[in-house]
Amino acid sequence: MSVPSQRPAGRKVLFMATCLCDAFFDNAARAAVEVLEHAGCEVIFPEDQTCCGQPAFNSGNWPACRKVMRHAAEVFNGDLPVVTPSGSCAAMLFHGAGIAFEGEPDREVIGQLAGRAWELADFLVNGLGVPSWPGRFPARVAFHQACHTRGTASGPAALRLLGMVEGVEVTPFGEGDQCCGFGGTFSVGFPHVSTSMGQLKLDHVRKATPDFLVSGDMSCLLHLGGLAGKEPGGAVPTLHLAEVLQKALRDDG
Amino acid sequence: MKDAREQIFASIREALQTLPERKPHPGPPSGAADPRWLAEETDAAALFLKRAAAAGTKVFTDAEACADWLRGLSARVVLLAENVTELTVDALSFAEVVSVFDRNDPDRIDASVTRAAAAIAETGTVVLTDETTPDRLAALAPWTHVVVVRRGEIHRSVADALAALPDDPNVIWVTGPSKTADVEGILIQGVHGPGEQAVLLI
Amino acid sequence: MAEQQIDQFTRRLDGKVRRAVRENSAAGTAKRAEILAADYGDPTPLRRLAGEIRQHAIENLDVHLAKAEDSLKRNGAEVHYAVTAGDACRVVSDILSRAGARKVVKSKSMVTEEIELNGHLEAEGIESVETDLGEYIVQIDGDHPSHIVKPIIHKSREDIARSFEREGLGDYDDDPETITRRARAWLRRKYFEADAAITGANFVTADSGRLVLVTNEGNSRFCLAATRLHIALVGIEKVVSGDADLAVLLNLLARSATGQQLTVYTEFIQGPAGSGRPSGPRETHVVFVDNRRTEVLASDCREILRCIRCGACLNVCPVYRQATGHAYRGVYPGPVGAVLTPLLAGKDFPAFADLPKASSLCGACNEVCPVDIPIPDLLLRLRNRAHAERLPSPGSPPMGPFAAMASRPWLWRMALRSGRVMDVGPVQKIPVPWMRAWLNTRTLPEWRGGKFRAWMRDRRKGGDET
Repeated sequence: MSVPSQRPAGRKVLFMATCLCDAFFDNAARAAVEVLEHAGCEVIFPEDQTCCGQPAFNSGNWPACRKVMRHAAEVFNGDLPVVTPSGSCAAMLFHGAGIAFEGEPDREVIGQLAGRAWELADFLVNGLGVPSWPGRFPARVAFHQACHTRGTASGPAALRLLGMVEGVEVTPFGEGDQCCGFGGTFSVGFPHVSTSMGQLKLDHVRKATPDFLVSGDMSCLLHLGGLAGKEPGGAVPTLHLAEVLQKALRDDG
Repeated sequence: MKDAREQIFASIREALQTLPERKPHPGPPSGAADPRWLAEETDAAALFLKRAAAAGTKVFTDAEACADWLRGLSARVVLLAENVTELTVDALSFAEVVSVFDRNDPDRIDASVTRAAAAIAETGTVVLTDETTPDRLAALAPWTHVVVVRRGEIHRSVADALAALPDDPNVIWVTGPSKTADVEGILIQGVHGPGEQAVLLI
Repeated sequence: MAEQQIDQFTRRLDGKVRRAVRENSAAGTAKRAEILAADYGDPTPLRRLAGEIRQHAIENLDVHLAKAEDSLKRNGAEVHYAVTAGDACRVVSDILSRAGARKVVKSKSMVTEEIELNGHLEAEGIESVETDLGEYIVQIDGDHPSHIVKPIIHKSREDIARSFEREGLGDYDDDPETITRRARAWLRRKYFEADAAITGANFVTADSGRLVLVTNEGNSRFCLAATRLHIALVGIEKVVSGDADLAVLLNLLARSATGQQLTVYTEFIQGPAGSGRPSGPRETHVVFVDNRRTEVLASDCREILRCIRCGACLNVCPVYRQATGHAYRGVYPGPVGAVLTPLLAGKDFPAFADLPKASSLCGACNEVCPVDIPIPDLLLRLRNRAHAERLPSPGSPPMGPFAAMASRPWLWRMALRSGRVMDVGPVQKIPVPWMRAWLNTRTLPEWRGGKFRAWMRDRRKGGDET
């Protein structure tokens, strides 16, 4: 995974909400905005944004992917940092784009966007250098690190943020580094394998008896939450990392 | 029609032509391959014994103790290689001592004693060559194999041993007894080679 | 509804086999992580270095292969080349027939699996016996290996005991120790009866002309101690520049494959044993096999040629752990197989174009790879190739319409609003296959399309007022 070494990290940011938050998880997106604002950011939401192009990229339809990414490059042009509450969307910008645009005439244009992309936790901790987080959120949480942030600074950053919140107890669970089985179109193309992977993850999480399953990616939580909703074991409450930080802020008054 | 060699080289060159540039060699690893604890180990012989034992090799620093061990295993027929002087026929008087491996009766010999060309401290490995072990079978077929290593012959690391690989048609590094985990992941020793591997460090 | 083959295989798989493979694989992953952490702390810099060493080797293959050939010849080995799998088999049977060899012992080799050498030799009336315990069991069962380093990870001791009984190795006994002893005695006879030994090679060094072979059982050593003719089949990509490279590669190979510092037997073969020696081959033949490796080298997936066949990517892969090796319908299962099998299939690429899709792209394979192959990137490139060749992809939603929508903001916003029908309509009845595939085992949350946007707009307005 290639993460740009020099990224802008000012306090005026473009916010990429992600298509999942746009469609289902407005709470997570709101939380991300409030969290960024608490960290002193002016958050700009370009209204014409749609998707990062990842679904098409992952399904092999790169012409379609490039079409979406070109639109994203237009919407998010400029030199401000682009922050998104999703590791996989961020990775699509800073890693996937370079592959999808190999040999394309506008590779530089896309590369310019790639060089400004941040996953939220990474941005807060390593971009802004947030040293502490106010408030309190008394909860036992199981933290699932999204696979697309594997080997990047996002996982450790998320754990640092959770560690800053008074009352949060992060509980480990079995095979924590294994995938939840979502994988975008993989989840519908290979439903049996995908479901088995997700159930294994849920088994491990349930054994740790957390109050919340937390992740920096709503895609993993869409999958795990969706599976849990159909299982006899029942629902597992899920929260985006930003929602944990937001709840702490609210407690702070 | 081009022969196979020409055809393959032509395909390789054609494939590589598309590269804007070829990746250079990263240079000698200069210690990168050494485990991080290696630098603290100053006594190569002590490290060799420790690592060999960890790999499942029986270690001896005393010829008599080694002979006693062989007696304890009820080794009735022992092959003693001609270039081994550290263990003698007298010391092995409890057994019939032979010097030649008979491939027509490969299981007659219970134990063999042969010479190593070198050893590797980092991994507890013994290095055998055709030069020092002319009959490969003698060091492989018997259930128990003792290899004699001299202190001055121990390389510190795998990298050092590679830098000093002998010019021999066949060099083999042996690190512990023959083993498999093919059946349900259960470790079993002595699949084709020795079930008991020992070193006698002199 | 059309089902992806791997998903179908997984659905029908015996739960006992799945559990055994998963547990064994997870144990392998843990052992690898433990020894690498103990010995190197963070192994990533070493993995990167190994990747560079291998990438250098394949990007300079013309130079190194020619040099390896010279060095091997200087050491007294004979060197042959084979373009196709069939050519490679013929080269082997020619060498054997010139020597009058009728019985062969074989040490485990992936390239001989790839070219189906055993079947070829059998057809020529030559007995060829696999000597690695797992490979031997695969052979007597007429089965295929399901893992690169643990060929019978899918078999239980009961399965093996029944096979041994059937083959006349003794009465039913499923004790692993007894199984191993029986194989030892039986295969020992085979070694001494054999006229020739066939092996692969893990590496070939260009500067010194050494074939490097690693085993834990000692079977390749026995092959090369008991027979007088050695034929090594080697994929052309196995060449490395020199002995010094092996320090990095051998240290990573054993740790990644089996969690050992070094494999029990690491053998360096320069050529035939001296004429006066009581054992060891009098002739050494090295057959360099292309079998479409040069096509891979020409592709945008050439990094896969770095692979040193350790099996770590299989062990860690969550899909492999659910699906197991045979699901991948090829010699190389798991993530490496999902890349290599379609590439090595040539014009049969479409038949294996589903394999690169059988991945959640979680990246665990890249993280454990001793030579840092960016496997997820290669899977994506192959998916792109499958799309460019207009191959069908059962179960996947079409991305053309999605892109049309996602590049037109007004259409996107309209879709966000209209998605609300899902909350009132009977979603379970939606006749879209991929939706059904999701909803069979998963629920969808409430559609809240546009809510976030509305909130942002309201705040901005509110902000303007204050």
